[in-house]
Amino acid sequence: MTNKEIYVLSAKQISIQQPLSEEWMTNPTLYDVPFSRSIDPSFKEYVSPIEARRMGKILKRALATSKEALKESGLETVDAIVTGTGYGCIENTEFFLDALSKEGEQLLKPTYFMQSTHNTISSLIAIQTKNHGYNATYAHKGISFDSALYDAYLQFKLNKINSALVGGHDEMTETFYHILRKGGVMGFDNEICGEAAISVVLSDKQENALCKLAGHKIIHQQGIDSLKEKVANFLQENGKTCSDIDLILTGISGYKENDEAYLSETKTLFGDRPLLKYKNLFGESFTASGIGFYVAAQCLKSGFVPKHLFVNEKDITDKKPNNILIFNRSDGTNYSLTLLEK
Amino acid sequence: MDELIYKLKQEIIEALNLEDMTPEDIDENASLFGEGLGLDSIDALELIVLMEKNYGIKLQDPTQGKEIFKSVKVMAEFIQKNRTK
Repeated sequence: MTNKEIYVLSAKQISIQQPLSEEWMTNPTLYDVPFSRSIDPSFKEYVSPIEARRMGKILKRALATSKEALKESGLETVDAIVTGTGYGCIENTEFFLDALSKEGEQLLKPTYFMQSTHNTISSLIAIQTKNHGYNATYAHKGISFDSALYDAYLQFKLNKINSALVGGHDEMTETFYHILRKGGVMGFDNEICGEAAISVVLSDKQENALCKLAGHKIIHQQGIDSLKEKVANFLQENGKTCSDIDLILTGISGYKENDEAYLSETKTLFGDRPLLKYKNLFGESFTASGIGFYVAAQCLKSGFVPKHLFVNEKDITDKKPNNILIFNRSDGTNYSLTLLEK
Repeated sequence: MDELIYKLKQEIIEALNLEDMTPEDIDENASLFGEGLGLDSIDALELIVLMEKNYGIKLQDPTQGKEIFKSVKVMAEFIQKNRTK
């Protein structure tokens, strides 16, 4: 492993907040419904209607965020394209299954079937951006984005790449939302279920970077004591102690059980360090942690942390953060730690 | 016929997922494949499914498609003559 440094050159989102914009920092869109689909930009700027005919919403969003992220980074191409998705092109899967159940096998439309696979995301971005480099898609539910990021992170450290486009993309249809809720997965109490499309460009060049990706780790864990030890090791590897961390970005979402677990574990792991949240604005989804990455990167770049991100009022401050640790918890067994520094 | 042509354009937009297009964007005399609308063989399958589902027309000879799908107008004329629903 090398000491190669990794910088975040750009980060773009399409979600339930204004798309491809940081308007949420000062003027967030607020929701009082349990489920909402993303606010989409006009996709005509990114792909012609004829080309877009075989793309579900998830693919169009992936393409738009990727093209915008590449444009802002100033890079024409990257060495690797790695994306994460919890359930991939779920809307087209739903269309296909719906037609199958209503009309049998005789009149099935080929496009929905072709576009219902997970791997279309990274490959489509590669085709559209004429990229012939490393290409992979990770489908690991709540740590999908984190897994894609880990792949890119390791390849930087192994000196195999100098730049990468990393994404996290998930759709949420109304039917899928009801199934997830019925299955006890998400959508309880005050939690909003949304959709997430996030693309970030990473590079070993620092110029015009939003921030630095100082460390990233995925932990599969079942006990708090062992988790505590692994978190301490992670901080030590990055030359930090708990008190060096300015802000901890959590997945607190409004779902009581989830929030209690976050509060309890962060208290044990990080003491009284100030906590932030973002799912109150962007909603819960399988790649919400990608949105967390975007939020933290934008806060570090602007030196401004909106009041509505703080979990506790007592922690609200105008002080510019030097670093943010993203603490993502999925299913109570999978965790990820991502340290971003100014 | 004009009504059928307009309806067919709407159905083509829906079947082929041409979300950002309107019926007015499609020239009824323009070629559906190649230089016109730029459709391909997968779209041809979608159009075959559309004709069977919406108009009860089952193409017996696949080579007929080349002639039937020449333009929206030709397709509408074929549907008017052969529809069972």
